[in-house]
Amino acid sequence: MADVVLEQALTECTEEVLEQMFFIQPVEEAVPQDPPQNGDASHLSVDVDFSGEPSGRLLLRISKPAARSIAADFLAEEEAVLSDQQVGEVICELANIICGSVLTRVESRTSFRLGSPRLLIQVPEPEMRPSAVRSLALWNGNITIAMTMEPELCPGMTKFAS
Amino acid sequence: MAYRVLIVDDSPAMRAFVRRVMEISGFDLAGCLEAANGLEALEVLRNEWVDAILTDINMPEMDGEELLRRLEADEALRQIPVIIISTDGTPVRTECMLQLGAKGYVTKPFRPEVLRAELERSLEVVHG
Repeated sequence: MADVVLEQALTECTEEVLEQMFFIQPVEEAVPQDPPQNGDASHLSVDVDFSGEPSGRLLLRISKPAARSIAADFLAEEEAVLSDQQVGEVICELANIICGSVLTRVESRTSFRLGSPRLLIQVPEPEMRPSAVRSLALWNGNITIAMTMEPELCPGMTKFAS
Repeated sequence: MAYRVLIVDDSPAMRAFVRRVMEISGFDLAGCLEAANGLEALEVLRNEWVDAILTDINMPEMDGEELLRRLEADEALRQIPVIIISTDGTPVRTECMLQLGAKGYVTKPFRPEVLRAELERSLEVVHG
């Protein structure tokens, strides 16, 4: 069963991050997409491992046109002059900030440690079902964030997610 | 404002973003230095004086926590105000870094004006 508290935190934190640091507002919530497939050239995928209580992994998937426009906004550059490496670095930072923001919101009583975000060439097969998945529509593509936590949030933590 | 600020972050994109925030806040970017981790930051500080340090926590080689300890252990370097910029906004982490000597703590995501205010406050404390 999906974790409703975590889903809400994913949506709110992603919107907040995009608005405050990337200066864009999602158009609307979108229907979560299927997990990324290997060989999908239309999207970028990034993952971030985190350790603490709980530990887990965030997987972010974004369409390439949306990734380029987000990177251009973040770096205040024209999309045309951005290299693929620059776009990848910005999307890694986006995943990093969203992950930290969600963990701060849902597990604020304990500290955590984030691993370095990784741009995925080969998307690994999921070891377990994500605890929560949310998709947001941007004006030129979708962004999907899946978070897996082990152990999952306990009921007593719900008050921290509002 | 011609202050020299050292930005320490392993993400080139984040360093570029912080530079941009400083630029639109009216800081002189000519005095802006960068390092990708704590070790590089200490190397920069061997040869350059800065008015403030903006640093991430989670970094390879040497993280922001160890950098803060090294700075505090150095009589000259401990005068430089350090502002933490981190995704970890938990009270336990914030309190830890402030106790180690950080003068400010900005949690990502942040609006540009928040970083500007924190930087100006730290510089005013030092320079009056």
